[in-house]
Amino acid sequence: MSTPLLDRPSALPGGCVSPLVDLVTALADNKHALGLRYAEWCSSGPTIEAGVAATAMAQDELGHARVLYGLLEELPGAPRRSEHEWSAADARTVACVDSPFAGWPHLIVANVMLDRVLATVLEAALDSRYLPLRQRARKIIEEERYHAIHGQSWLAQLAAEGPEVRAELAAALRGDWSDALCWFGPADGGALRVLVDAGVLGAAGDALRARFLAQLAPVLAAAGVPGPLLGAGGAWELAEPLPWDRWDERARRIVR
Amino acid sequence: MQTIGDEPVYEVFARRAEGEPLRHVGSVAAPGDALARVYARSIYDEESWLEMYVVPRRAIIAVGDVRDEAVDAHA
Repeated sequence: MSTPLLDRPSALPGGCVSPLVDLVTALADNKHALGLRYAEWCSSGPTIEAGVAATAMAQDELGHARVLYGLLEELPGAPRRSEHEWSAADARTVACVDSPFAGWPHLIVANVMLDRVLATVLEAALDSRYLPLRQRARKIIEEERYHAIHGQSWLAQLAAEGPEVRAELAAALRGDWSDALCWFGPADGGALRVLVDAGVLGAAGDALRARFLAQLAPVLAAAGVPGPLLGAGGAWELAEPLPWDRWDERARRIVR
Repeated sequence: MQTIGDEPVYEVFARRAEGEPLRHVGSVAAPGDALARVYARSIYDEESWLEMYVVPRRAIIAVGDVRDEAVDAHA
């Protein structure tokens, strides 16, 4: 017998509402902030085409945030957000979008890290039992395909420019690393575990982290910017433990 | 590798609906096929294209050359 879909907030198991609100708020806030940061490069990309592509990704991210804020409006206890009233003061965002990107390589690292982290979580909602989340995730993921191609292609292009640019990429990667890798939650998913158990999210924690690393690690290795990873037999492992003692699970960011 | 700002040009072709001819809609400069696709999608998004293609300009053969060759062959 197939598991019935949950087509409205009142159908969600009681324990799911609060973690779902926290997750969607953090997804939407990060997408909104990332969109604003991409938009700052509309007219200052390395080429006209790159600037237009940054503009398109900014529009996509701001649109995804609006769609996710719409999802929040239906959920009880969700913080109020709107694109006009949005303020960064209480935003649940990671550090790399706190201030403008220091350069194009930093934008590209956010493109392959934060952008892909959020997409990986939403990919895990493509078969969600919670219908409003599943429907929204489908539309978002279709557009995210192009963000992934953009990030991977630009990373390779920049890395091929030489050791100075590779060093800048490596520094940006180090800065974004912990926030990005912790975002999936501790090994068992932490607060997201209840969503996985209820079928609202397909996976969390180590399972999602492994999916993310399986895509990211070969791209980093090919670019000569390997990051703190150990690769063996097609599987990738973290070379250093993640700073869970500084991880704020509700805000979904590292406390600095 | 191409220097940024000195990338090869790709011509962009698109079709609005089934049965319509492919139209030349513009061009993009990109270091490779993958970014050419991303750029074409973001720059020429004024319509809901059914299909869109990028073609490296270097792959396009001028028919004028063929005609000249044909004329030469009959000379």
